[in-house]
Amino acid sequence: MTVQLDHRPGLGRLYAKAVATARSRRGDQLPETSVEMADVTIDREQLASYAEVCGFRHSDVLPPTYPHVLAFPLAMTLMVDPSFPFPLPGLVHVANRITQQRTLRADERLTLRVRATDLRPHPRGRQFDMTIEATVAGEPVWAETSTYLRRERPRSSRSAKDPSPQPGEGQGGGIAPTAIWRVPRNIGRRYAAVSGDINPIHLNPLVARLFGFRRAIAHGMWLKARCLAALEGRLPHVLTAEVEFKSPVLLPSTVGFSSQLKGSTWAIAVFQRSSGRPHLNGSIEA
Amino acid sequence: MKLKIPGVPSPTRLRRYAPGQPLVDGPVLVGGAPGGKLRDPICEILGRAGASVGESPSAVAEPSRWSAIIFDATGITDIAGLLALHAFTAPAFRNLRPSGRLIVLGTPPEDCPQPKAAAAQRALDGFIRSAGKEARLGSTANLIDIAGGAEDAIESTLRFFLSGRSAYISGQVIRLTPATPMPTPDWDHPLRDRVAVVTGAARGIGAAIAETLSRDGAQVIVLDVPAQGAALAEVANSVGAIAFQIDITAEDAPARLATYLKDRYGAVDVFVHNAGITRDRSLVNMPAEQWSSVLAVNLGAQLRINEALLDQNVLRPGGRVICISSTSGIAGNRGQTNYAASKAGIIGMVQALAPVMAKGDMTINAVAPGFIETAMTKAMPFATREIGRRINSLNQGGLPVDVAETVAWLGQPGTAGVNGQVIRVCGQSILGA
Amino acid sequence: MADLRPAAIMGGNRIPFARANGPYARASNQDMLTAALDGLVARFGLQNARLGEVAAGAVLKHSRDFNLTREAVLGARLSPWTPAYDVQQACGTGLETTIHVANKIALGQIESGIAAGVDTASDAPIAVNEDLRRVLLQVNRAKSLPQRLALLRKLRPTQVIPETPRNAEPRTGMSMGEHAAITAREWGITREEQDQFAVSSHLHLAAAWKRGFFDDLVTPYLGLQQDQNMRPDASMESLARLKPVFGKDGTATMTAGNSTPLSDGASAVLLSTDEWANERRLPILTHLIDAETAAVDYVHGGEGLLMAPVYAVPRLLERNKLALQDFDFYEIHEAFASTVLATLKAWEDPSYCKEHLGLSKPLGPIDRARLNVNGSSLAVGHPFAATGGRIVTTLAKLLAQKGSGRGLISICAAGGQGVVAILEAA
Repeated sequence: MTVQLDHRPGLGRLYAKAVATARSRRGDQLPETSVEMADVTIDREQLASYAEVCGFRHSDVLPPTYPHVLAFPLAMTLMVDPSFPFPLPGLVHVANRITQQRTLRADERLTLRVRATDLRPHPRGRQFDMTIEATVAGEPVWAETSTYLRRERPRSSRSAKDPSPQPGEGQGGGIAPTAIWRVPRNIGRRYAAVSGDINPIHLNPLVARLFGFRRAIAHGMWLKARCLAALEGRLPHVLTAEVEFKSPVLLPSTVGFSSQLKGSTWAIAVFQRSSGRPHLNGSIEA
Repeated sequence: MKLKIPGVPSPTRLRRYAPGQPLVDGPVLVGGAPGGKLRDPICEILGRAGASVGESPSAVAEPSRWSAIIFDATGITDIAGLLALHAFTAPAFRNLRPSGRLIVLGTPPEDCPQPKAAAAQRALDGFIRSAGKEARLGSTANLIDIAGGAEDAIESTLRFFLSGRSAYISGQVIRLTPATPMPTPDWDHPLRDRVAVVTGAARGIGAAIAETLSRDGAQVIVLDVPAQGAALAEVANSVGAIAFQIDITAEDAPARLATYLKDRYGAVDVFVHNAGITRDRSLVNMPAEQWSSVLAVNLGAQLRINEALLDQNVLRPGGRVICISSTSGIAGNRGQTNYAASKAGIIGMVQALAPVMAKGDMTINAVAPGFIETAMTKAMPFATREIGRRINSLNQGGLPVDVAETVAWLGQPGTAGVNGQVIRVCGQSILGA
Repeated sequence: MADLRPAAIMGGNRIPFARANGPYARASNQDMLTAALDGLVARFGLQNARLGEVAAGAVLKHSRDFNLTREAVLGARLSPWTPAYDVQQACGTGLETTIHVANKIALGQIESGIAAGVDTASDAPIAVNEDLRRVLLQVNRAKSLPQRLALLRKLRPTQVIPETPRNAEPRTGMSMGEHAAITAREWGITREEQDQFAVSSHLHLAAAWKRGFFDDLVTPYLGLQQDQNMRPDASMESLARLKPVFGKDGTATMTAGNSTPLSDGASAVLLSTDEWANERRLPILTHLIDAETAAVDYVHGGEGLLMAPVYAVPRLLERNKLALQDFDFYEIHEAFASTVLATLKAWEDPSYCKEHLGLSKPLGPIDRARLNVNGSSLAVGHPFAATGGRIVTTLAKLLAQKGSGRGLISICAAGGQGVVAILEAA
């Protein structure tokens, strides 16, 4: 079944619904529904704001991460559907893969389609994928798979006690950073403003505490966008950018970023500057 | 606000070419009727491409066995000979892998002096078109007619039809005429050292053509109107091409273009006329300016540019001109009297220029896309669009890259034997078939 | 040292110039410069090419943009192994970068290079109030917390108001327009002359766009396809309606219509040796033959702020044994219509030429039909550092189309400076 939206739904209402219905959600099946919106146009002002927050430059092409923001209200629509089994608060974004068949331009109209698929177990609960497909006039041009974790079991004792990097885990540990980023305190609020993702764990340290974080944390998709922006001018136009979010970036933070080109693949990582503990590991392939 | 529509089953995902991909994804079954002389050359080509060859259709009955079936029917001279075709293909056809290929090689019926031979050869035509409709899971069926003396020119065409590059072509008859193909030293980059020009390259099919030609090794120059310059520059920088902003309908455009190409490259090898517009209206409601602008961009500019290319020797020997036509130009389309006229006109131009081109060891061909998912098809009403997508043997719309691959094949130095033809990239659409 | 070899100019690229706070309002200098470079890369197939250098600059520049050009190169599709540096000589920047790159090519130090310029009046830097800046620096130097707090207590609300850049000469406190108005009055340049000149700039520019002259010189950016300031319907009547903005009432002649507007834009020029161009089969449009920079004492010396090119040109002519009339095209930057007219008048004035320029006879008049034939800054707009590159590519293409001859470029700049150059058809 397809739900066709003819305009972008208001995020405020969706959030209200998400919070109101959080407690009643249960089940072991994802809805079959897909949410679709045709002819999504690009608001250049909004695009400019997004570019500024993430570090992309103003141009006539879309950052590869931008359709994620365009599709965000669709994903929200799906996740507040009565048939959706998980409450939105508390879902953890653990991985994201974006595939772009070609550069997208700001003057194109995108058709976006969002689905939830592949519910499966995870050592700490259950995980599933939110997939977004973007087409321009029927031609598939962009796709994204975001993996979310619903935590249902506590962390295993080993990882709870030991925040230092696991052997072999992540490229962050031991690698000299290509760049040092000072991630400002307000980045959560700024990204929320341009993405519509106003999850309070990114905005407010007190709420973040309720969910077990010492401070507010940066959006995973901001971090990924920041990584791609750091490779401005170097990215191929056909690409697959895949990242795992290993641990949240507490705000504010100073983090290390590393990029290495092997063949036609960039290995990228973001890690805590002091300990080398990985925040994000990933690769960008042509 | 919300409209719920039933889901549509998704069609088979076609095998499409990616760099480094082997020619075929499994063994190839090769057979032939007595009198055919092409089996050995075919097996040599397959051997060079690293494909394994099977010769007996009944040896294995496992499903999804053959990535392609090739049958040399050139030796068939009567109805009895056709029985071999049936005997060979009937058991094997069901064992084709998804996106498999049935390729029959024939003799042009008009080259057969005997009526019974001409009839038998013409029979292949009906056979292949029906097999195309019976093929499942993205498989295709095509007939290559090889005129006497063209036997040495089959490699680029055979490779094209075996590979994922021909994903959206089915039920077609291709004719090879005698010609001397130029050598192709590197089949992974068949356009290496060739200079190619693509008009209308800022987006859609044109951008896909630029990318594909560049991938195949060509130095590409991309053209579009100045207003599309930002998108054009992006395409150029993405695929390593050179951007040239020009309105090809301007009075001085052919001269400017010829001067630019000669100054910068001396001469070029491949020229792709892709620029085109639609201004759809029913005939009774169509204002003269919509009629004229479509004919000017789609046809007039091509005629004038071709004239300049030939007059000023902008094309090197071995040059290839490829003109994007449309199945609308063959079958017609409601609301497109102007567009269909322009696209049919292209076919007339191609056929008239082919003998002229042949004299200079050059070729000119038309590529007629069927339902390709582009911004132009987007302008269609929903029902028309959905029907367009479905009424073909592959049960789906094609992609810009399918047109681009066809253009790249016609642009190859080895594709000397294909001249003056219209290659349909339509998934064997029933329109105009 | 190698023999001198005049640098070849193959062409250039710019983005359409926009009016300030228009379509490029959100774009930074770096964004626009990168866009101009990427368009040039696409036009000449320079993807991942390592060039000798890229020299560029901006007049209105944020402190964070200390390495603006290099940052733009790193973001563009050029090879990141291409060195780059910033140059700033007010409105002369774009031509000065061209001269820098051309000189290095002439000397055999580099084979190829890009000269560029960019400016935004929309995304102008806003500086911390000078009082606040001093206090903050003191706070930074203070050793203890009480000292710091004591310093911060000295701050007053008015000191927190930031300073926006003013288009004024630091030593005179007068804007460029006010300076130009003085010169216009001195030379008796009438309102009518100025308006007529502005109208022809717009009409020439519009005609050039219409004939496709800019098809291979400009790449659209952020949806803008042509120069936004251009008025194809400009007329004496429409300009006559505007009120003077510079100069004293009554005698004032300078309006928004015959002065350049605040603009955003970027331009880039590709230069190389003949060999480098020939290897790549890039047609050479022109060579840069020679250049000269002059400055005048506009503070105490009694000369007009924008009159320096008047001095630079005769020196350049003398060195090249040329007369002012030996040119097929003249490109005189239209900071204000009155500036161009005063410049021409000065060259025609026997006593001025004798007394100020030390010439035995005046340079004489030029054929006006050869002046700014495709319009200039009044119509195109004037993003300060981007103007030089625009003029160089325009003139280079004009000469290439003609197939022979030479052209003179003259650009006035803040601080009483002037940059002039000669291009010759290849």
